[in-house]
Amino acid sequence: MMRVTLTMKPRSNPFLPIEAEQIIPENFIGSRQVMVYEGNKEHSLLNICVIRRDGNVNTPENVSLILRGDWSRVKRVGEYMSSGTIVVEGDIGMHCGNFMRAGKIEIRGNADAWLGREMRGGVIVCHGDAGDYCGSGYRGEKRGMRGGSIEVMGNVGEFAAEYLTGGSVAVHGNAGCFAGVEMRGGYLTIDGDAILPAANMVAGECVVKGRVLEMVPTFERVGEENGMIVYHGDIANRGKGRLIVRSTSRTE
Amino acid sequence: MMHDATIHPSALSDILIKNAYLVDPIQGISGERVDLCVSNGVIVDAVSEHAIVIDADGALTLAGGIDSHTHVCGTKVNFGRYMSPEDMRAGRTARRGVMYPTSGYTVPTTYGNSYRYSKMGYTTLLEGAMAPLEARHTHEEFAATPLQDMAANALFDGNWNLFEAAQQHDYRQAAAVIAWVLRAVKGFGVKLTNPGGSEAWGFGDDLASLDESVPHWDVTPREIIDTTIKANEYLDLPHSVHLHCNNLGMPGNYTTTLETMDIPSALNDRRQTLYMTHIQYHSYGGSTWRTFRSESLAIANAVHNHPHICVDMGQVMFGRTMTMTADGPMEFRLYTLHHNKWSNHDVELETGSGVIPVYYDRKNLVNSIMWAIGLEMALLIKNPWQCLLTTDNPNGAPFVKYPEIIALLMSAAYRDEQIATVHPSLGKRAPLPTLDRELSFEEIAVMTRAGQARALGLIEEGKGHLSLDAAADIAIYPIWPESMDPAAEYEDIISGFSQTLYTIKDGVIVCRDGKVVQKIENKTFWSDAYVPPQYDVEKNPRFVEMFDRFYSVQFRNYAVQDEYVRRGHPLVRTGKWDTEGGG
Amino acid sequence: MTEIPEAFSFSHTKQPSGGVHDGVVTDVLCPFCGCLCDDIKVTVTAGTITGVENACTLGAQKFLADTGRLPKPIRRDEDGWHEISYDEAIEYCVEILKNANRPLLYGWSSSLTEAQAIGVHIAELIGGVIDSTSTVCHGPSILAIQEVGHPGCTLGQVKNRADVIVYWGANPTDAHPRHMSRYSTYVDAYFMHNSFRDRKIIVVDVRRTATADIADEFLQITPGGDYALASALRAIVRGRDDVVPAEVSGISKVQMMQVAEMLKNAKFGAVFFGLGVAMTRGKYKNVRNAIELVDELNRFTKCTITAMRGHWNVYGSNEVFTWISGYPYGIDYSRGIAYYNPGETTSADLLARREVDAAVIVGSDVGAHFPRACCEHLASIPTVLIDPYPSATTHLSTVQIPTAVNGIDAEPGTAYRMDGIPLQTRQVLPCTTHFTDYEIFSRIYARLKEEKGA
Repeated sequence: MMRVTLTMKPRSNPFLPIEAEQIIPENFIGSRQVMVYEGNKEHSLLNICVIRRDGNVNTPENVSLILRGDWSRVKRVGEYMSSGTIVVEGDIGMHCGNFMRAGKIEIRGNADAWLGREMRGGVIVCHGDAGDYCGSGYRGEKRGMRGGSIEVMGNVGEFAAEYLTGGSVAVHGNAGCFAGVEMRGGYLTIDGDAILPAANMVAGECVVKGRVLEMVPTFERVGEENGMIVYHGDIANRGKGRLIVRSTSRTE
Repeated sequence: MMHDATIHPSALSDILIKNAYLVDPIQGISGERVDLCVSNGVIVDAVSEHAIVIDADGALTLAGGIDSHTHVCGTKVNFGRYMSPEDMRAGRTARRGVMYPTSGYTVPTTYGNSYRYSKMGYTTLLEGAMAPLEARHTHEEFAATPLQDMAANALFDGNWNLFEAAQQHDYRQAAAVIAWVLRAVKGFGVKLTNPGGSEAWGFGDDLASLDESVPHWDVTPREIIDTTIKANEYLDLPHSVHLHCNNLGMPGNYTTTLETMDIPSALNDRRQTLYMTHIQYHSYGGSTWRTFRSESLAIANAVHNHPHICVDMGQVMFGRTMTMTADGPMEFRLYTLHHNKWSNHDVELETGSGVIPVYYDRKNLVNSIMWAIGLEMALLIKNPWQCLLTTDNPNGAPFVKYPEIIALLMSAAYRDEQIATVHPSLGKRAPLPTLDRELSFEEIAVMTRAGQARALGLIEEGKGHLSLDAAADIAIYPIWPESMDPAAEYEDIISGFSQTLYTIKDGVIVCRDGKVVQKIENKTFWSDAYVPPQYDVEKNPRFVEMFDRFYSVQFRNYAVQDEYVRRGHPLVRTGKWDTEGGG
Repeated sequence: MTEIPEAFSFSHTKQPSGGVHDGVVTDVLCPFCGCLCDDIKVTVTAGTITGVENACTLGAQKFLADTGRLPKPIRRDEDGWHEISYDEAIEYCVEILKNANRPLLYGWSSSLTEAQAIGVHIAELIGGVIDSTSTVCHGPSILAIQEVGHPGCTLGQVKNRADVIVYWGANPTDAHPRHMSRYSTYVDAYFMHNSFRDRKIIVVDVRRTATADIADEFLQITPGGDYALASALRAIVRGRDDVVPAEVSGISKVQMMQVAEMLKNAKFGAVFFGLGVAMTRGKYKNVRNAIELVDELNRFTKCTITAMRGHWNVYGSNEVFTWISGYPYGIDYSRGIAYYNPGETTSADLLARREVDAAVIVGSDVGAHFPRACCEHLASIPTVLIDPYPSATTHLSTVQIPTAVNGIDAEPGTAYRMDGIPLQTRQVLPCTTHFTDYEIFSRIYARLKEEKGA
């Protein structure tokens, strides 16, 4: 195993966003220089953080990156990651795990928006809350997350799992508006409450174990399973997805 | 306001291209080593001793490429961009040297289009469809497509004033309307897209045949086409009527196409009398998608029997692209098939348009047949001057696929290799696997520049050839015909036509080894056709009343001001008014 | 005409040009709302506008109440505001932009496309973000279009054909006063005998607006109920009313069925929607659902949908940004290539997250329209306001550069109507003292190119 600890240095302008898509395990094998953008300026990773390596390995699956300090403004960590692990000890910025293919990202704090955007495989676990568009797609694209799994222990913002196409998103807290909107496959489970879940879905399965505070009116009730109500829809969109809820505010 | 000259003086040096392997069908040169001299933007006899010397060392040298039917600028092209941020993620480049950033693959930004066409040796583009009411938009984008001279076909398929003339079969009145619109919007040619159909689409309908009347208008597509062609020739416009036939994309539509070919008689001895665009989409047999088949043989035969007709391929290539056309009802049908995003934009009193993304799948039989038909047209039509190379960019494929199409036409081996990857039933529905013709460099030169120059009437403007005094628009490709067999070395054909060694535009080296090295300004061709005073539509109360009551803009705000065509290049035509007693 | 000047000479005093000192200018474009009415008649007496015909009250005000322009550029220091020269103001601009790490260029909807185009090139040159007022207006509508497309048309199609018109979350009577008389409800139609009487009007809104008063059907929905209503109507239109509950968003099923029938039986339906749809909860999903309702209706009849765009040339900014960068607003060039992701690269988000370290605001009043946190951040960084008039944003700025007013005394240029029709503005008054924003941005761009060695 090799542990690579990246400790963020104090920054003169801590609000400036950093884009760091090169922070993936494979780039820390050998002596490759890792570059990041801070605002519109390109820097070596060494300019923004202290790097400490423990151990030495040749294969990325044995690399574990530890992100320490304030990474809440650092975007695109773990993008296209295909093996190894990343552990974020605090919060992480937007687009963590974009297009991720394999490996594991663990976030001990909160994740900003677009966590695991267009993810293809691998595992993301976020112990805190995740922002809007957790496990979603990109603007205009017809498919969102296609594989892998995202688990969020806290709440998620709006549009979680938008265009979910494959893989699974599990939210243990509450979801904002429009979780699972435009779903076309995959599994979304929300342990807490949701508002207008699975709107316009075409396929896939969305389970809400808490309360559905508002229900899209165009789901067809087809029966009950394990004490939960099963709907098909979204009928407005010729959809054939499954929405399974414990209770709704909807009056039949 | 002061605009400083963009061209650095060194860029205006004379150029001597030694050992060019020149293929120039207009001059009758089918491949020989020559030295080309360039001075002041044109081909000359000799150059000064300070000339830049390029030793082509036998590299294939052609006149600059011309695309006679492409969609690169204007309202619907930009809508294709606007609605497709996912497409913009491909092909992004940053500012580099004189190159601005670019984005996009199927519908690139204007600079993306211009740079990529230039890299392929193209120096002249015809925007296939411009709604007159939205012409300023097209011209604004032309200014941002700097490495090619531009021209725009104006859409007349749903033009109410033209309908009224066609109802009376009054081609002089039609000519007066056309001339006025072309001058007002700085249009080049006359485009009919699904004539009558786009008006019917104004209420959600379409027309199924050439003899069905346009709803609310006592006029048929046949009458519109016939009157417009006669008017076009009466005005003696540089280009012929440019027709997108009715029933595009429908199984069995080839009969409509054949009927359409019989409408005009030969009226012009310089060029074709009718240009039928993206013929692939109009050569479909069968009666449903299940019985869909190629009717390329019938169409090619008809082209042989109608030497006054010229077509372009409208080749489909596999992969994703964006369809965009003034044919609104066709796009809606496509939308109900694909259920992807759909945009539509009808334009009052004039035309319509639609945009949807598509994916042509090589495992899909219909898509495989479509792919085959375009190639079949090019291989079956004996005279390359009658069949030009296009993809109806980006409808059939983005234009960056042209080199692959050239290789498919030059190499039966490459075709066989590709046929092996498409739907296995192709051979039962399309004759492509039986065709063994392999086109020559000369035929490719006809289909990519010389034929276009003739079809567009631009030979006299120095386009499409490298005769003395012709525009020094030159493409030198890393292809050495004296020592290669294109049928076998098709990979080299693809890479060779993808990126020139040099692209020279008006005597300036604009692109070298794929990199744009010089900023230049383009010009815009438009048609300035004479109309005698008694036919001046502005003095026609009916015309003015129609305008004032039913357009949503003021008459005085319609015509495109001169500043939109700062480098406008009017092609002045006197027409046949005098000789035929019309005025 | 959008030409990118390679270099730009800038004389220290404006050369007077165009316009009239005394007389009448006709067919003037109104530089107020997205209707971009082009039939305005303006009377000028002794260099002052004294009469405006055909315009609505909002448009007329724009011409007639053209007072209180800032006479010269101003700069703020410890002692307050001081007049400075245009050259000094422009140099200040160049200074704050050239090395900024996250510069923002915002506004643009009151600029001509000519200036907007230069704005994009400045953004890509300095690695900045360029964004237009769409971001706080119909940006969500654009996001919806990027998901499902846009079945639209020019306004003349509506005028000549539409027999059923829907205003959804839009109140043209107040916000686009001539829309109904010029393009839709009340105007003569080619295909109707008595369009004034024969057109049917449907209004969907959370409150009874002035527009609702003229509706044949008024659907007063519960706030936030747009999405559910559109879903229900889609299901009904496609014959699945069986799944629709008895009431959705406060609307009875009976009324929804009635409205669905009206829309299906229309010869030409035209839906116009406003910020009531685009800027309420759900935002772009509401718009998307309305578009998909229109898509569904097209299986039965003709139906179109159009956003009631606010600023007179906001659509121009979307068009120009798109053909140059590929994206309609919120474009981030920090890495040289264009990147777009509203919610991340849009002005309100950037400012709220305090990312921006230098800003140029053009022709827009951020101070009056953005959340407080955004304004506070703007006030804490070097901010240049390029605008003819002092505004709430002046108080957030370090420098303000006044310009000629586009469509009044600026030289003619291009604007795009809410339906995409490009028109050229007319110059009513001579431009004597103020440079245009086109000239100012041309100069800034030329200077930045020198600084950057580009």
